[in-house]
Amino acid sequence: MPQLEESSQPRLAAGCRWAGEGENRTLLFPEGALRLQDTGRAILERCDGLRTFQQIVEELQIQYGVSDPAKIRADVSTFLERLHQKRVVDF
Amino acid sequence: MLAAPLALIAEVTHRCPLHCVYCSNPLEMAAAKSELGTKDWRKVFQQAAKMGVLHLHLSGGEPLVREDLLELVDAAHTAGLYINLITSGVGLAEARLSALLKAGLDHVQLSFQGSDESNANWIAGTRVHALKVKIAPVIQKSGVAFTINMVVHRQNLDHLEEMIALAESFRPQRMEIAHAQYYGWAFKNREALLPTQKQVEESLRVVAEAQKRLAGRIRIDAVVPDYYARYPKACMGGWGQRQVLVDPSGKALPCHAAWVIPGLQFENVRDHSLEWIWRESDSFQKFRGEQWMPEPCRSCDRRSQDFGGCRCQAMLITGDATATDPACSLAPGHFQIEEQLQRMNASANSTPANKAHGNAPEDFWTYRPQPR
Repeated sequence: MPQLEESSQPRLAAGCRWAGEGENRTLLFPEGALRLQDTGRAILERCDGLRTFQQIVEELQIQYGVSDPAKIRADVSTFLERLHQKRVVDF
Repeated sequence: MLAAPLALIAEVTHRCPLHCVYCSNPLEMAAAKSELGTKDWRKVFQQAAKMGVLHLHLSGGEPLVREDLLELVDAAHTAGLYINLITSGVGLAEARLSALLKAGLDHVQLSFQGSDESNANWIAGTRVHALKVKIAPVIQKSGVAFTINMVVHRQNLDHLEEMIALAESFRPQRMEIAHAQYYGWAFKNREALLPTQKQVEESLRVVAEAQKRLAGRIRIDAVVPDYYARYPKACMGGWGQRQVLVDPSGKALPCHAAWVIPGLQFENVRDHSLEWIWRESDSFQKFRGEQWMPEPCRSCDRRSQDFGGCRCQAMLITGDATATDPACSLAPGHFQIEEQLQRMNASANSTPANKAHGNAPEDFWTYRPQPR
């Protein structure tokens, strides 16, 4: 399985798309849906196939004013790898 | 407050070029002339989206036999639904697929009946395997989200590794390996389809191994055989909780099999709004929540996880739709499932038949016919 690297450019996999606005903002995929708020949404909305993993982590550090960069990197990585297994995110 | 269903299953027709012996359609299918028209479906899709439904599963029968499928997809997409096409692939070609994708189709789920052509055709009751092998790469190449679905049972489980290999060769994002669910035609053909204990154990091993090997490339969703489980499945996520099915003639049901329960009247989307049917109609309220539950469900810690199991299975096996699902090891009716499994596992019939080997007589099982 491909590894998530600093230069990886995560993107939503085929058949995964956003619907709804505001608190109803939902990620739809073939057999389900995720209603996402806060960090989950902040991460996935940046998975546009252009930003690199490193850029996403840096942006989140700024947005959330995180003091522990290693932790946010590990959290984002775990989250994206989990969604990769579900075939929601490709990288 | 009662939430809206997450998904609408639209059985747009019961017509189908296949005759699969495990088909989930009712034994009495909706006649072609009773089918809802394009406008009716458009209205249903709009109502569904408005009440908060996210997913539409275009199912059948074979949805591709509807000549207005493109208009249906367009209507559903315009309404804002996420559209799954559940298909045998028969009737699909590159141009039609491309038009459907342009109209907003989100996902294609293609079925396979087996890996070996003669066995697969024997199960489908017609020669379609070669067609499926031809269309699968076309679907993959189109870039649409792609799932391969394989229903497994005693007559194909011994080829599970080859089936996974075949599906893998088409590079879908997902595979669904679903043990047959014993309703509709599958219930009628249960004697021929129930897997042996050994097959079930082996299939769990094979699926787990494939999940590990294909992780990150192909996601495998497995539906386990509840006859062999300790606790029942959380059928449909609870009666009238998450999904609504509309049959070809417009009748709305809480699931594929609810027609087996006597005394329920299923309202029609021609006469009522989908929202009214979902919220107010007797059939959807009948087993919603926990009020109807008997013991041991009523005081069971698992009641909020599996909702007492499946009402239709309780009806089919115990004759009482309000009984605890007999698939549950705690159910008073569980002995009926145990006896069935013991009888089957001890019988010579437990060896899979094979038409090519000449040991499957003509009356081995009942093929699903065409609706009138």
